[in-house]
Amino acid sequence: MKLEMQGIVKTFGVVQALKGVDFSVSEGEIHGLLGENGAGKTTLMNILAGTFGQDSGDIIINGEVITNMTPRKAMGMKIRFIHQELNLCNDLTVYQNMFLGEELTTARRTVDKTEEIRKAQEVLDSMNSKIDSKALVGSLQTSQKQLVEIARALLFKSELIIMDEPTTALNNQEIQELFVIMRKLKKEGVSFIYISHKMPELFEICDKYTVLRDGQFIQTGAFNEIDTHTATELLIGHNYIEADEKKEKISHKKDEVYLEVSHLMGPGLDDVSFKLNKGEVMVITGLQGSGTDELSMGLFGAGEITSGSIKVKGKEIIKNSIKNAMKDGVALIPKNRKERGILPDLSIKDNLSLAYFTTRQKKIIIDQKKEMERFNRNQELMNIKIGNPKDPITSLSGGNQQKVIFGKWLELQSPVYVMDNPTQGIDVGAKFAIYELIDKIAAKGKAVLVFTNEYPEIHRIADSVVVLYKGKVTGNIERNNMSEVQIMECSTGTAKELL
Amino acid sequence: MEKKNINIRNLWSEAINNYSHWLSFVLLLIVATIVNTSFLEWSNISNLFIQGSIIGICAMGMSLIISAGMIDLSVGSSVALIAGLGITVLNSTHSILLTLLFSLVSGAIVGLINGLLVTKGKIAPFIVTLATMSAWRSIINQLGQGGPFTVDKQMYSSFRNIAAGKFLGIPHLMIFLVIISILTAFIMNRTKFGTYIYAVGSNHQAARLSGINVNGVKTIIFVYAGMLYGLAAFLLASRLTSIQAASAGMAYEMDAIAAVAIGGTAMEGGRGKIVGTFLGILMLRIIVTVLIMANVPPFLNGFVQGVIIIVAVLAQSHRKNK
Repeated sequence: MKLEMQGIVKTFGVVQALKGVDFSVSEGEIHGLLGENGAGKTTLMNILAGTFGQDSGDIIINGEVITNMTPRKAMGMKIRFIHQELNLCNDLTVYQNMFLGEELTTARRTVDKTEEIRKAQEVLDSMNSKIDSKALVGSLQTSQKQLVEIARALLFKSELIIMDEPTTALNNQEIQELFVIMRKLKKEGVSFIYISHKMPELFEICDKYTVLRDGQFIQTGAFNEIDTHTATELLIGHNYIEADEKKEKISHKKDEVYLEVSHLMGPGLDDVSFKLNKGEVMVITGLQGSGTDELSMGLFGAGEITSGSIKVKGKEIIKNSIKNAMKDGVALIPKNRKERGILPDLSIKDNLSLAYFTTRQKKIIIDQKKEMERFNRNQELMNIKIGNPKDPITSLSGGNQQKVIFGKWLELQSPVYVMDNPTQGIDVGAKFAIYELIDKIAAKGKAVLVFTNEYPEIHRIADSVVVLYKGKVTGNIERNNMSEVQIMECSTGTAKELL
Repeated sequence: MEKKNINIRNLWSEAINNYSHWLSFVLLLIVATIVNTSFLEWSNISNLFIQGSIIGICAMGMSLIISAGMIDLSVGSSVALIAGLGITVLNSTHSILLTLLFSLVSGAIVGLINGLLVTKGKIAPFIVTLATMSAWRSIINQLGQGGPFTVDKQMYSSFRNIAAGKFLGIPHLMIFLVIISILTAFIMNRTKFGTYIYAVGSNHQAARLSGINVNGVKTIIFVYAGMLYGLAAFLLASRLTSIQAASAGMAYEMDAIAAVAIGGTAMEGGRGKIVGTFLGILMLRIIVTVLIMANVPPFLNGFVQGVIIIVAVLAQSHRKNK
C-alpha cells in the first residue's frame, strides 16, 4: 500500500494538535514515527485509522483521496492499528479476541469455532509465541497479551500495520521474534508504521523515519543516514543538553547500609540477598518472570514474602503491610502508571498529597495552606508544567504525571526509594528529567533501588546492578565492571559461573 | 497579580464544574414558579424540606457509597427495621434519648454487616445489599406480624414534636438535613478520609499502593451511611408515629440513588459533590410538587422522574466527554 497524508491539521478545543503534517509510507516499508509524547503521533495515526476526522488535509491511499475515514473503512482498506493500550477482553479466549467483530461463520450462520481456533493457532505458532489459542486472555502475562494483539493484526491479510509502542512488555528475545515476522511480511509487501521511544529498535527494524515535534512536521529521511544522537536531537529540539550520555556519573554512595535484604523467599523469589547503601543507586534487572515484580512488591509489603529479612537502617521492617513498609521508610513508585500510579478522577494536588496523608499526617482535617505549600514546593523542584493544582491529573502529559507521583513519595522523606520502571511510557525529554531527579534524590542521601530492563537507562543511573534469573541473584555488578553483554548473560542464566 | 489571576481561574473552573446541576435546579425553580406563582413562598419551601429531608439524609450516605464505587440497596429496609425497633424501645423505656442512641447504634451495626460482607466476604456490594434488603424487611415484618408499630399515647406529643416541630419558623427536619449535609460535605472536602473515599472509587489499586487501607475505608463508609439511616429511621418514626412494617421506607434506596445521580456523582465512583446530592433531593421533591400543581395524573410521577434521571445523567456524561 502506498500512503500519503498531506497538510493534516487537527484541533482539539484551543489546542492545535497537528499543524499541517505531511507523512508518507511506500509499499513494503517499515516507517518509524518519532516524537515526544504530545508531539501528535497518536493523533495522526488515529486520523489515519478513522478514529476521528481531520480538520483539513488529505489522506491519499494508492493515489486515491479518501474522504470521511471511519474505523470500518480503514479496516476494509486493510489498515490495522495496534494500540499502545491493550484492547483485549480478559474473559474471552485468545481466538475469540483475535476474531472479535469479524467472526468466521459456518453455512448455518453460527460461529465456526474449529476454523477460528485452527487459524488463530497457525498465526500464533508462526510467531513462536507458545500461546494456546484456547487459553483465556485473562490468564496470560502482559507480554503474551501484547503478542496476541500483534497476532490479531497478522491474522487478516493487512497491507498497513500501525504499531504504537509494541515492545513495551516484550523481552529481547520476543522483540527479535517480532522483528523476524515483520521482515517476512515486509518482503510480501506489507507496510508498517512503527511508533517507539526505543532508539536501538527503531534503528534496527525501520527503513525510514519521520519526526514530529509539537504537532509539526520536522524531518523525514532514511535511518541509515543518521545516528541515534542526531535522531534524539531532532526529537527533542533544543532541550538536548541533558542528553549527554558520555557524562561521567558522580556517585553519592556512602558507607552506611540503608537497606539489607537477606535470604528472601517467596513466590517467584529464591534466596535473594543484597545490600544497598546510603546515596547509592542500584538497578535490579531481569527478564519477564525473573522475580523482579515479586521483589519490588515484596519490599513494599504489597507482595508475599515467606521467609528472610528486610532491614531498613538496621531495623527489621514488619512485613506484609504497605502502611508499615511506608512508616519504616520504604517508598514505592509503582510501574504501570495508569493502573497503579495515578488516581484519574482526583486533582493534581490530591494525587500529590495522598501518601503524606496516610503515613505522615496525624490530623484528620486537611490543612489547605500546607497542601498548597507542598504543591508549590514540588512544582518548583521538578519543574512540573501545571496551570491549576485543582485540575485532574489526567490533564497532564505522562512525564508530568510521573513527576507528580515522584513528588507524592518525596514528601515522605523515606530513606529507601524503590522505583519500578519509573520511565515507562514517557518521552525522551521527561526521561532525562527523571534521571536528573534520581541523581538529586541520591545526592540527598537516600538509597535508591530502580527496577528497569533498559540498558541505556541502567548505564545512565546505576552505581551497581543486581541481576535476577528465575528468582535467584545471578549477578551483582559494580559500575566499573558493568556491560550490556554481561547483564544479558546473567539475565539469561548463561553466566552462572561468574558468582 | 499573577496569583490573583490563578485564583479567579480556579473559581471559574469550579463554577463550570458545578454549573450543570445548579443550572437544572434554577431552571426547575423557574418552571415551578411559572406553574404556581406562589411556589417560592416560605410555607411551600419548608413543606418541600419536610417531605425531602428524611430521604435526603439517606442520600448523603448513598453519596459516599457511590463515590467509593459501591452501591447500597438496603436503605429502605434498614430504615424500616430500625424505625420499628426504635418505636418498641421508645415504648418500653419512655426515653427519646435512648431511642435516638439505639437508632444510631443499630444503624452502625447494619452498616458494619454490609461493610464486612463486602470487604471480608469479598462479595459485590450490589449482591450484599440486595440480600440484606430482603433480610431486614423480612425480620421487621415478622416482628410486626402485619400490624404497625405505634408510639404510645404517653410519648406521642413529645416524640412527634421532633420531626413535626419548628425552630424560629424553620422545620426541625430541614435543620437536620442541612446539618448532616454540611457535616458530610466537610468530611468529603476537608478531611483525609474524604480524599480516601474518592481515591478508592477512582483507582483502588493505586489507592492501596499509596498506603490506604481500602477495606477499612469501605467498611467505615457503610458504617457512616448506616448511622445516617438510623437517624433517618428515628425521624421517620417521629414523623409518622406509626410504622407499617411492610411499607415503611419503601424504595428509599431508589430515591437516594436518583438524587445522587441527578446531583452529578459518577456511578462508577471517584467523582461527585455533596452539594449536588443536596440539590438532587430538592429537585426530586420539586418535580413531584410541580406535577401535582400541573394536574398530571399521579400515576405518571414515576415516569417523569425516570425521564429526568436519564436526562440528568446524559448531560453528565456529555460533559465528561468534552
